[in-house]
Amino acid sequence: MDALPATGAGAASPTAADARRAGWRAWLLLTPVVGWLVLFVVVPTAVLFVYSLCERDELGRVVFTFSLESYGRVFDTVYVRIFARSIGYAAFTTVACLIIGFPVAYVIGRATEAWRQRLLLLVMVPFWTSFLIRTYAWITILKQEGLLNGLLQLVSLSAQPFDLLYTPFAVSIGLIYAYLPFMILPIYGSVEKIDGSVIEAAHDLGAGPWRVFSAVILPLSMPGIAAGTLLVFVPAIAMFAITDLLGGARVPLIGNVIQNQFLQARDWPFGAALGMVFMALFVVTYWLLLRFGREEEVA
Amino acid sequence: MHLRTCVIVPLLALVTALPARAAEELNLFGWSEYVPQTVLDGFTKATGIKVNFETYSSNEELLSKLVAGAGNYDVIQPSDYAAEVMIRQKLLAPIEPAKLPHLKNLDADMLRRPHDPEGRFTVPYMSGTVGIVVNTEKVKTPVKAYRDVFAPRFKDRLVVLNDSRELVTWALYTQGAPINTINAAALAKARPVIADWVKLVKVFDSDSPKTALLNGDVDVGIVWSGEAAILWNTDKKFAYTIPAEGAHQFIDVLAIPASAKHKDAAHKLIDYILQPEVSKLISDAFPYTNPNREARKLLSAEALANPASYPPPGAKLETFRDIGRAAADIDRLVTDLKSAR
Repeated sequence: MDALPATGAGAASPTAADARRAGWRAWLLLTPVVGWLVLFVVVPTAVLFVYSLCERDELGRVVFTFSLESYGRVFDTVYVRIFARSIGYAAFTTVACLIIGFPVAYVIGRATEAWRQRLLLLVMVPFWTSFLIRTYAWITILKQEGLLNGLLQLVSLSAQPFDLLYTPFAVSIGLIYAYLPFMILPIYGSVEKIDGSVIEAAHDLGAGPWRVFSAVILPLSMPGIAAGTLLVFVPAIAMFAITDLLGGARVPLIGNVIQNQFLQARDWPFGAALGMVFMALFVVTYWLLLRFGREEEVA
Repeated sequence: MHLRTCVIVPLLALVTALPARAAEELNLFGWSEYVPQTVLDGFTKATGIKVNFETYSSNEELLSKLVAGAGNYDVIQPSDYAAEVMIRQKLLAPIEPAKLPHLKNLDADMLRRPHDPEGRFTVPYMSGTVGIVVNTEKVKTPVKAYRDVFAPRFKDRLVVLNDSRELVTWALYTQGAPINTINAAALAKARPVIADWVKLVKVFDSDSPKTALLNGDVDVGIVWSGEAAILWNTDKKFAYTIPAEGAHQFIDVLAIPASAKHKDAAHKLIDYILQPEVSKLISDAFPYTNPNREARKLLSAEALANPASYPPPGAKLETFRDIGRAAADIDRLVTDLKSAR
């Protein structure tokens, strides 16, 4: 207790370097976060890594004998193909979310204060309901005797009901629906900060609408777009519930394959190896993105 | 004075009651959608033992939680082949028949099956089959065998269980091969059959295959008999057939883990469930095949007439045996074929 005034007095005349470096108190404040990261990120990843190098017994339990067999199987064409397909679905979802989400985020970001709050609330309302229940709602909408087909028949657009549920179309809808807010919110954060006078200046200097967008608005929204892309792409690639519920589990994605290893297939080491390779893929992509971004800055 | 009694008497009651309550508890780990809450409430009312109920949705989940020792379970509900591994791995405690006076109610046909040949570790809970269900309003021709189901005319009109071993089993049945011999040769033979089949299926769903049938998205399915029984109860247009080539029969059992702390209470719960009146409640809620002869006498004529719950005798039915490490080979095969489309 009596240490507080003393350190307070010491902090009264800090050198410039000291002020910038985090003191022990700052680290103390970070303890919960660091503890959280160690406990729930570092330790599980280490466990996963150890498991991925082990063998399994007949129950699929890990036997602590060193083996690289699981990593060998990851590069089996079956799983490489599934990896590629999962990346394709996730990339499509990300692009679609960007195309739909950017205008939405822009409109919200440039709206008046009162409207901004209301519109943001609308983006977040779906989170009040469980993700699974919202996905089931899509089943009710898309099924053959469902709301959408009923509506189409009512306005006699079609005599035959469309096959909507259990198709790649349904999976795409489910993915875009689930991840759209994660694209809108970070872009909104960037757009909101754009100084209106910058846009006005561009207009005054003779730039057309397209030029203003590509030379001013887009570069200034880049941090939000980058964050949104990561927030959508990473979870979308590992999603398995939507492909099961809306896709009829017909085409396995990598999330389904990993889940299966821990249950039906009883092969924990292989599931762990898939998870590790998956993680390595992200780290490499992220690193490349960072490097690429920096080089661009220099140029 | 009055205030003091108000505080002290309940406190004393609490203190004295705590140890007694703690001793009268039981941890049940069972399938989701398989044990009616009314049965557990009835048990607590009859014996004073509080039941903590936790659920799982696959045998593999039960296995992994049991070996991880994550919880201390007193009664579990594995299927036959999962019980077989547990017995082999010495994870189960022997049943004490002296503590189960109602054991005599069970159908002898359901006892001493290959997973527990001496009947020392398991007590049958419910049984069922995996068979064909047809929406007879949409399909007028008979569908009696796997070969009829996986026909080009049903392309994109099929729902089947999302279970790799089931798919392989059906393929083996159409080839007249034994369903519990899973090796490279058997899988190589089954491969082209399954490759053709997965192209026809619209939905793979193990959790609620009835949904796609009820919603009208498909017309034919291969599903758990309990799901088919519920469909038939909803609408008589859903007809259930045991496939002509043979079918997988499962027997879900009650067992006590070797590590259980409340073995006495566990026996009490098992015996309570064996009582005909209680067993009937389970049949009412989940219309699988009840192995309890006395309980079956209490069922309504309509429940007994349900072809999914009580299929006509004479069908070829076999239970699964544990296949150990081959489970991974099956998973790879089916994943490969599914992702090829």
